[in-house]
Amino acid sequence: MKPENEVERFVADTGLDTHAERDREILRDVLRAHDDFQQRRSQLRQPQTWRTIMRDHSRKLATAATVLLAVVLFFAVSDWMTKPAWALQDAIDALKDFRAVHIVGAFPGGTADVWIRANTSKTQSSDVVVKGSHGTITWTQDGATYHYEPNQNTVYYEHALTLGVTQWLGPELLEMLSTAQNVEVVRGKDPATGRDRVTLLCSLIDVQGAQSWIIEFDVASKLPVAFKQWGNLDRSGPPRFDALKVTYYEDLPDSVFAVHIPGQPVYVQKPLTIPDENIGVLSDTRDGLSAEGMTQQEAAERAVRTMFQAVIDGDLATLRKMCPLCKNWGDEFLRSVLLKTGKNQRIVEILKIGPISETGHSKLGPIVALPIAVQRQDGLRAEQRVIVQFRTLGGVSSCVVHGPYGLAREIK
Amino acid sequence: MLKDALLIWKFRSGDSGALAKIYEDHRQNLLRIAAGLLNQTSAAEDIVHDVFVRLAQSPDKVRLQGNLRSFLATCVVNRVRNANKAAQLRRTSALDEARAVAADDTGPQRWIVVNERLTVLNNALAQLPYEQREVVLLHLQGEMKFRDIARSQGVSINTVQSRYRYGLDKLRSLLDGEIL
Repeated sequence: MKPENEVERFVADTGLDTHAERDREILRDVLRAHDDFQQRRSQLRQPQTWRTIMRDHSRKLATAATVLLAVVLFFAVSDWMTKPAWALQDAIDALKDFRAVHIVGAFPGGTADVWIRANTSKTQSSDVVVKGSHGTITWTQDGATYHYEPNQNTVYYEHALTLGVTQWLGPELLEMLSTAQNVEVVRGKDPATGRDRVTLLCSLIDVQGAQSWIIEFDVASKLPVAFKQWGNLDRSGPPRFDALKVTYYEDLPDSVFAVHIPGQPVYVQKPLTIPDENIGVLSDTRDGLSAEGMTQQEAAERAVRTMFQAVIDGDLATLRKMCPLCKNWGDEFLRSVLLKTGKNQRIVEILKIGPISETGHSKLGPIVALPIAVQRQDGLRAEQRVIVQFRTLGGVSSCVVHGPYGLAREIK
Repeated sequence: MLKDALLIWKFRSGDSGALAKIYEDHRQNLLRIAAGLLNQTSAAEDIVHDVFVRLAQSPDKVRLQGNLRSFLATCVVNRVRNANKAAQLRRTSALDEARAVAADDTGPQRWIVVNERLTVLNNALAQLPYEQREVVLLHLQGEMKFRDIARSQGVSINTVQSRYRYGLDKLRSLLDGEIL
């Protein structure tokens, strides 16, 4: 399309200047129109977002990109790592020195800055802050998760760490990925930079509902550089979160994670919910245990104890019977991710099961959350909240374990 | 192209800085195309102003198939076509307005700083049939491929190439002695 003769050059090269003051005036008009549109869009989406938060456990923190990693790491996952096609070990080696990460990305309706820091032993995230472009802030603090909505001057909270990374970047991640069953790896070049990259595609159903991801690793640096997350298995539609930039840090100062909310917001506790798409898996009468003649506390405690004893004993059949969502995953994966067979983080003893702390309802019936304290082989103790689903099927009352309610916390 | 995609991604994600960058990068070229199509600076300014405002109000509608420059040039062309249709419905008054505006082209409220070279070019372009003018401007200033222009005009690529050739020939004779 280069001009070939004088006339073409004359047309192509004839420029014009503009009056700077008028430039600024018009730009102000344009930006004002954009702001108006953004406000209208925000107002339209706000109720829907909150309804979604109320209804769908997986989206309770719509701005939270980190859910992505939480799932990949909590229950994740195939045998592609064992193939020499791509040495993920290199990526893990590249990652293990980093204790903190900063992610910039977009979710439907805005952008978000996400800061995550691991605990000192780098086993999982301990601090997370997500700042949305419309003033929303989501963060974790003292075992609870908070979500500030500036338009409503309200902070929604729940007594569980539902935002974060269940397995920090490191060798554990490699092991989990090496046991995955539904992972696909594609090699190619980044069209933007021409650099070699490896793209990981995966999906699964877990306590967060259906999830799928694309994660891009830069081959030279061995680091994950971008990812997308969808709330379905086939990566259809716009992603729930699109992370364009990922920056790694050896550490970040505490001030990054200190959240100050302006004014005097109203604090509202979020109701306990589970994803509707998990209801079907929880409805099999052959799973769980009878709750006939027992209080909710007694039945829930018994279900949780039975499940965790199965984890200690390595009894996969009982584990799947008590926690039917585990049926979605293979033996190797369960041993790697839940049982942690041969690892120091393996659970060796149930210390205590606490009283029901939250209650709610799913389409199947009442749900409750209660804490369990466990002793690990490495000497540390951890507390995990667990959600139990009650149901009355065929006139018989019974219950099953839905799964964890947020991340586990190390306790003294 | 990727730079454009990134800019649009940010813009659609609500980043007003991205919109300001689009404005900064493209306003002069769009004004140039609009002025060339209309040969009325004030009308051209209104068109480009409207294009940016509409863009700001509908980020979700931006579907980039080529580059951003072409996309915006097409937006301008579509608005000019609409303005032309409207003008045909009220031809007499439109001509009166055009004269009035032309007299005000150098006023303090103007956006475009008119220069002699631009005036020469636009006066020459104004003597081309509209379709030829559009093809020449979209190809040379909007950097659009003939294939894309053909799609935009709803004609075959051969027709577009003919319009371009005839347009250039006529411009050559009109601009003879003006270029150098």
